[in-house]
Amino acid sequence: MKVKVTNWNAVAYWHWDVASAVDDFSGEQEPCGICRNPYEGCCPSCKVPGDDCPLIWGECTHVFHMHCLLKWIGTSTSKQQCPMDRRPWVTADAGKSS
Amino acid sequence: MALFAPAARDAALNDGTTEALRSQVAAKWGEAFARLNRAEPGIQGLMEFSQAWGMAKEYLRPRDIMNPADVRPDYNISLIRHAFDLVGQSRRLPVLLEGLIEQTRQAFPLVERTIHYHLQVYEATEPRDPREIARLVQALRRWYDAWLPWSELGVTICGTFTLHFHTLLFAALPPSFITGFKHLCACTLPNIHADSTVPGSADNAALDNADPTHFAFRIWDTFDALGMLDRYETVIASVGYEYIERVMRATCAGVWGKAVMPELRRWVAVRVKPWLRSVYAKDIEDDQAAMTAIQTVSSRFDFHVAKTLCDLRISELFDIIIDYPDSAPCLEDIKECLVRVDGRASLVQALRKANRKRLLHPGADTRLILQQYVLTIKCLRAIDPQGVLLFKVADPIRRYLRERPDTIRCIVANLVGGSGDSEDDILGETEPPAPLHQPELEDYTDPNWEPEPLDAGPDFRANRPADVISTLVSIYDSRDLFVKELQVLLAQRLLKGGGDAPEKERRNVEILKIRFGDAALQVCEVMLKDMGDSRRTDVHVQGQENLGVLHPTIISRHFWPAVEGAEFKLPGQFERLQSSYAKQYTLFKPDKKLRWLPHLGTVSLELELEDRTVRVQVPPLEAAFIELFSEQDTWTVPALIERLGKITRAAALKALLTWVNHGVIKETEEDTYVLLERAESEGGQGDARKLQAKQRLVEQEAGAGGGQEEGREEERRREEGRREMDVYWKFIQGMLTNLPNLPLERIHAMLGFVDTYNLTTEQLAGLLDAARREGLVDVKEGLWKLVIK
Repeated sequence: MKVKVTNWNAVAYWHWDVASAVDDFSGEQEPCGICRNPYEGCCPSCKVPGDDCPLIWGECTHVFHMHCLLKWIGTSTSKQQCPMDRRPWVTADAGKSS
Repeated sequence: MALFAPAARDAALNDGTTEALRSQVAAKWGEAFARLNRAEPGIQGLMEFSQAWGMAKEYLRPRDIMNPADVRPDYNISLIRHAFDLVGQSRRLPVLLEGLIEQTRQAFPLVERTIHYHLQVYEATEPRDPREIARLVQALRRWYDAWLPWSELGVTICGTFTLHFHTLLFAALPPSFITGFKHLCACTLPNIHADSTVPGSADNAALDNADPTHFAFRIWDTFDALGMLDRYETVIASVGYEYIERVMRATCAGVWGKAVMPELRRWVAVRVKPWLRSVYAKDIEDDQAAMTAIQTVSSRFDFHVAKTLCDLRISELFDIIIDYPDSAPCLEDIKECLVRVDGRASLVQALRKANRKRLLHPGADTRLILQQYVLTIKCLRAIDPQGVLLFKVADPIRRYLRERPDTIRCIVANLVGGSGDSEDDILGETEPPAPLHQPELEDYTDPNWEPEPLDAGPDFRANRPADVISTLVSIYDSRDLFVKELQVLLAQRLLKGGGDAPEKERRNVEILKIRFGDAALQVCEVMLKDMGDSRRTDVHVQGQENLGVLHPTIISRHFWPAVEGAEFKLPGQFERLQSSYAKQYTLFKPDKKLRWLPHLGTVSLELELEDRTVRVQVPPLEAAFIELFSEQDTWTVPALIERLGKITRAAALKALLTWVNHGVIKETEEDTYVLLERAESEGGQGDARKLQAKQRLVEQEAGAGGGQEEGREEERRREEGRREMDVYWKFIQGMLTNLPNLPLERIHAMLGFVDTYNLTTEQLAGLLDAARREGLVDVKEGLWKLVIK
C-alpha cells in the first residue's frame, strides 16, 4: 500500500526561540521579567503578539519583550542596566542568545 | 262566631272575675260587634258579613283541577268583589288570608303529586326528554292559574297567594328538578352546529327532538308566573354560560391563526342576545328598550365570553407559544381579554406550571428550552408590553438554564451561527445587532415615565433589555463566560473550517464586537489574525521549498483556548513533512520556532491499494495509523500505541474503526489488525460492528460517556477547573501561613480581593474539604489551619 498525502491542514503554534523555553507541552515557561506576561503573549501596551510585539535579547542572556525593556531603559532609574542582573544592557546580535 | 259571642260574654260574667276585667271584656266585645255589624240595625250587618265571609272563603278554596266536579263556578265578579269589600271593611281580611294560606298548604299535596309524576316520567325516559319538564311546568302553571284569585281583588290578596304558592312550590320541588330545569332552559338556546364535536351528544339528540321555538316564548312567561325566573336566575345564567363555553370549546380551541374575539362578539349579538331578550325582556317590543333592559345581563355574558376565552387560551398558552409566530393573532385576543378579566395571575401560574412540566426537565434539549424561552419572550411581550408577565414566567426558566452546563455553548453557538444558517437560528433575530443593554438606573427626569404595573413584584426591573440576545446573555451575571465560550467555539470552527472559514468568522466577530465591545473580543481578533498570518507564511514557505500538501495553521498559543491534548509523534512521511516545514519556517522567521499539535487538523489521503484507491479525509491520528500500516501489514493495538506515544486505547480503537469502516484493515484476532490489500466483500461489516461494541466497552471502562470529542471537551473543562483551583489554593496557603486558624467566611472574604475570584462559599468549602482529604489542611471548630509537615 502506498499512502499519498494530498492535503494536510495541520496545526502548530509558534514560540520564540528562547533558551528557557520548556519542552513539554503543559509546562510553564519563564515569563518576561518585566511585565510577567509570557513571551508568546504580548506586553501590556500591545494587543497582538508575535512580530508586532517582538522580544529583545541581551548579551547577559536575559530576554524581555522589546517594548517592556525599551520603556525600562527609558526611565532614569534604570541606569541603562538589565533589570535582572544590573549589568549594563547590551542587546545581543542577530537576536540569538543561545 | 259572632253569634256565640253573647254566650261567651255570659260565661265571662259568671266567672268570679273582677269588675274591671268585666267592663274591659264588655268594651272589647262591643267593639268587635260594632266592627262586624257596622252601623246596621240589629244583627243585620252581622248576617251580611257572615254571608260575605262564607262566599269569599269558598271562592278562595283551592280546587282539585283533576277532578271535573270540583271546578270553580263562574262567579259574578261584582258579587265577589262586594263580599271581599265587606270582609275588608270589617277588617277581617288578614284572618281570611290566613285561612287562604292554610287552605293552600293543605291542598298542596295535589300539586306535589303532579310534580312527582312528571319528574318520574322524566327520569325514567332515556335520553331524558326536556319536554316532560315543560309539561310539568305547564301543569304547575295550570294549578297556579286555577288557584290564583282575580287580580281585581287587589294586590294584597294576589300577592299573598303568589308568595305562599311559590314558597310551597319551591319547598316541594326536589333537587332533581333543577337538572331538568336546566335541561329545559338549554333547549331554548339556538342549537350548536350539528357537525361540531360537542361533548354530551345525548343532550343534542334531545335538543333536536325538542323544537325550541315551539314553547320558547310561553315557557318564559310560565317561569315568570311560577317565580322561577327569580328563583333560578343563577341556574338560567349558568345554562347560558355553559352554552357559551361549549360553543367556544368547539369553535375556538386550537384556533390560533386568527383573532376570534370579533367573531365571538358578533356571535353573541346574533345568537345569545336574542335569547337573553326572550328571557329577561320578553314583553318589550321596542328593540332599543329591550337592549337597554338586558344591558346588565348581557354585559355579564360579554364578560363571561372574555373570561372563557381567557381561560381557554391560558390553558393552551404553552402550545400557542410553540406555534409562534403562526399563533400571533390569538395573542391579540389574550391581550384584550386580560384587560377585562383579571387573569394575569392565573396566566403566570398556568404557564409556569406548563413550563415546569413540559420544558424544564432533563429530557428537553437545551436548544429547545432556549428556543421556547425566546418565543415566550416574544409572545409575552406581545401580550404585556411592560414585561411583568414575562418577568414572572421567565424567572424559573432562567434559573433552570443557568444550571444547565451547555446553556452558554448553546447561546454562543447561536450568537455565532445565527442569522446565516436558518436551521441553527433559534433567535429568529431580525433586529440589527446592538450593543448589549446595560442595566441602567431609572431616569427620574423622563416625562413619559409610567409607574410599574400593579402586579409587578419588588424585584421587577422595568428597563428590561430590549433585544432577545441581551436577555439571553443576561441569564448569567457575567459576560466573561460568554466571551470564553465564544473563543472556544471560534477556535473549533477555525481549525475545522475550510479556506473561507476566516472570512465568515470575521463577519461574526464584527457582529459580536458590536454586542460585547471591542476589548472583550480582542482575543478573537488575534485568532483571526493568526489565520491570515498562517496563510501568508504558507505562501512564503511554499515559495521557498515546495512542500505541496502541508498547509499548517500557526496559532499564538496564549490567545487560543487550551489546545493541548494527546501528544503523539506522527510517523514516516508526516514527520518528514513537518520537520522540513518547521525548518523553512525558522528560516523565514529566525527567532521563532514551530511546535506541532499533532492531534489537530485534518489530512486528505489517497491510499493506493492493489485493487483499489481509497480517498479519504481523516484526523491526523488515523493518518498516522495508516502510515504505520504502510510500513508493515500487521499490527497489534499495543504496538501501535507504543509507536505513536501518548494516546489512549479508546482513541486508538476509534481510529482503527475508521479504517475498518473504510474496508482498509480488519481485525483478525483480538487486538491484531491486518491491512487488506485486496478488498473483502463480506465480513467487513461484522468486524466493524464488533469493533464498535469493543470501543464502547473501552469507553465505558474509561468512564467517558459519548464520543471522544465530548470526552476531550469534558477533560478540558475539568483541567481548567483544576487550574483555577490551584491558583486559589496558593492564595489560601499563603493566607493560612500568615494567619493560622481562619474561619471559612474570612477566607472567602479575603479571596474576594482577588480579581478573578468567583467561587461561592460552598465551592470554596468543597475546595478546602478536598485539600483536607489530601492532608494539606485541617479544620477544628470551623477554623481552618495548615497541616505542618
